[in-house]
Amino acid sequence: MGSQRFFEDIVEGQEIPSLRKVVTTVNILMYLSTVWLMDRIHFDHPFATQQRGLPNVVAPGNMGGDYYAQLLSELAGEKGVVRKMSFQFRNFLLPGDVLDVGGKVTGKYVNEGKGIVELDLWIRNQNNINCVPGKGLVELPIGGGKRA
Amino acid sequence: MKESLLEKLDWKKYIGTETESYTGEPVLGRDIRRYALAIDDPNPIYYDEEASRKGKYGGLAAPLFYVTWAVGVPGSEKGIKDLGEDGLASFVGVPEIPNVWDLGWVRGGEEIEFVKPVYVDDRVTVKGKIVDMKEKDGKSGKLIFVTSEFVYTNQNGALLARHRLTMIGTPRKESTDG
Repeated sequence: MGSQRFFEDIVEGQEIPSLRKVVTTVNILMYLSTVWLMDRIHFDHPFATQQRGLPNVVAPGNMGGDYYAQLLSELAGEKGVVRKMSFQFRNFLLPGDVLDVGGKVTGKYVNEGKGIVELDLWIRNQNNINCVPGKGLVELPIGGGKRA
Repeated sequence: MKESLLEKLDWKKYIGTETESYTGEPVLGRDIRRYALAIDDPNPIYYDEEASRKGKYGGLAAPLFYVTWAVGVPGSEKGIKDLGEDGLASFVGVPEIPNVWDLGWVRGGEEIEFVKPVYVDDRVTVKGKIVDMKEKDGKSGKLIFVTSEFVYTNQNGALLARHRLTMIGTPRKESTDG
């Protein structure tokens, strides 16, 4: 999707194209049912709020990992490779949240002939809180795509 | 106040414990499609076979992080009467630890290295190992950090991903401070 990015195109400090995600109870239910996850904090409002003291039902944290996987896959494009990502869950993703899923290049280097790009990642909610700070490592093709 | 919850639980001896390996059933196109819908990823390579053949994976493959679900949560498919009050029957990461449900658990952090994607019809195997346990004093009491490492392979024995997951446990309000 979109044109291929190459290692040479990347500048340290640049932000990569972000994703906008809206958390809804329907998306949460789709996720829970497709992976067979029955944890009541994700769908049972009285349980989540009264017994676990949460502000609402909460999205499975894993969804943040999926958002990052999509973000980095779109950066990698057809010829790049998503190598690694890591993240910490600091704030819950809640129904109604409008999320800015983005990243900033913190470093780039060539290792064994491969163009490696390092990124800081964020999932910011509408209150500008980074709910799931993370890091990513993506390999991008070098030299205008001549590499096999 | 100084008392170590981790010592009281006597869990440190489980560091290094490996889980059995679990193998999932073949991944369906439907699994991939529904997963992509749930995470709102519109890339046609997850929905359309022809697009997927022309795409980077050369066939129908799942969104990358799906690998952590490709086996399901081992032991989670139980009837209502066998589920805990949380709705959970097993705990990914520390299934063998006694009294694991004395704590309430949330995900702390994850780290994953992707090696190969999961394709439709793949049978994924996961094997886990507890690699670390820590204790910290949080604002509202003790926090227990359990870090596990999971290795995912496919039916040909090819490595798909290495995954580290840290779960954070806190004593349940009604059953602690005893």
